[in-house]
Amino acid sequence: MTIDANHVAEEPASVSVGFPVTVGWTHAAIAVYSVLRLNTPVNLTMLIEMHGPLLIDFRHHAFSWSTPLELFPVDAVHTNLETEPVGPDDPPYIELPGQDLDGLLWEMGLNSFGGAAAYWLPPNERYKLTRWPNITRHAHNLGQMKMMAALANTYASTTELAALAGVEESEAQRLINALSLMRIIWRSADAPAAPVVKETAAAKRQSLFARLRKRLGR
Amino acid sequence: MAEHVILFAGPMGAGKSTAIQSLSDIDVVRTEANNSERHIVDKATTTVALDYGEILIDGEEKVRLYGIPGQKRFDFMWGILKTRARGMVLLVNNDAPDPVAEMLYFIDEFRDLYDRGGVVVGISRSDLVDGPTLADFSDALERTNPDLVIPVFTVDPRERDQMVDVLLTLVVNIEMREALGATMAAAL
Repeated sequence: MTIDANHVAEEPASVSVGFPVTVGWTHAAIAVYSVLRLNTPVNLTMLIEMHGPLLIDFRHHAFSWSTPLELFPVDAVHTNLETEPVGPDDPPYIELPGQDLDGLLWEMGLNSFGGAAAYWLPPNERYKLTRWPNITRHAHNLGQMKMMAALANTYASTTELAALAGVEESEAQRLINALSLMRIIWRSADAPAAPVVKETAAAKRQSLFARLRKRLGR
Repeated sequence: MAEHVILFAGPMGAGKSTAIQSLSDIDVVRTEANNSERHIVDKATTTVALDYGEILIDGEEKVRLYGIPGQKRFDFMWGILKTRARGMVLLVNNDAPDPVAEMLYFIDEFRDLYDRGGVVVGISRSDLVDGPTLADFSDALERTNPDLVIPVFTVDPRERDQMVDVLLTLVVNIEMREALGATMAAAL
């Protein structure tokens, strides 16, 4: 496989060409989202300066990368991205089981688009979880946990979600981007507005969650 | 002193006692006996009445953690506790013969808690076998109540951080559901 961005076109089996050198994860997220939408099995290789090749086997929902996700490089410099079609009898692209792709999608979604909406998300939509992400395996904060609890129980726009969880709207948008990339949210342009829950000081005092998280060191 | 009861349920061998130990401030009170069903689960002892642990908050509030026996012949204990419980952590070991069916059995037994969103499912021993995926468990739950999105996570009951995630998710999900429900009811 060619790994030089200037020579990608020499590989006839490759699908994507001309990937520009980029900083951050926005272009990578768009590429991954496009591949996931294809519903055609492909392998994907990203070359990232100082962090080695990142190999994704979509057929097995797994990836291989020498950089641990705990050290996810937010400002990674991508020098190439390449996809290859996969036949039904082709061997796995990586040594299985590999790492669960959801962990990478989570980090990629949170750290792309700079807190703005992912390009594939139209404005004026509301969102609801189809299932919870496996948060015992993904680094997360309590604001994200609270937002997911809201999304598990109601449709909400990013503005409504931010209000429900008491976080910045950009944080809500980052979470929606990640959940969307992981394909675990419903989207609706017709869902009614989420209820406005006023988080008064008294309500905060009554919250077992607030007291317990403090007690448990979170 | 305010008290909150959280149940830990699930089949024998899922890690209920270990999970409580990971969270509890006190040494867990165990009521174990020799396991007479080693042909089903290969462990020497099993809980026959209750496991008990607790988390004390600011010296004035207590979260009581009850592990209830996994064997169905002890299910008379379940009714005593489930009416008092605020929520339940349902642990299922993925190396059981049919872990999805095991989960659904307990969901059915604790239907009231489940229907009010007071359940988190933890799948233990998922790294040991190529069993059902989390999506398989979530799909099975969705079929029982399409309006609920119950958290389903892989867990290692020995890992305190993971059990804290599970407990906090349970509590925040219950409180968010109550707050949204109360707001909607007030608007009617």
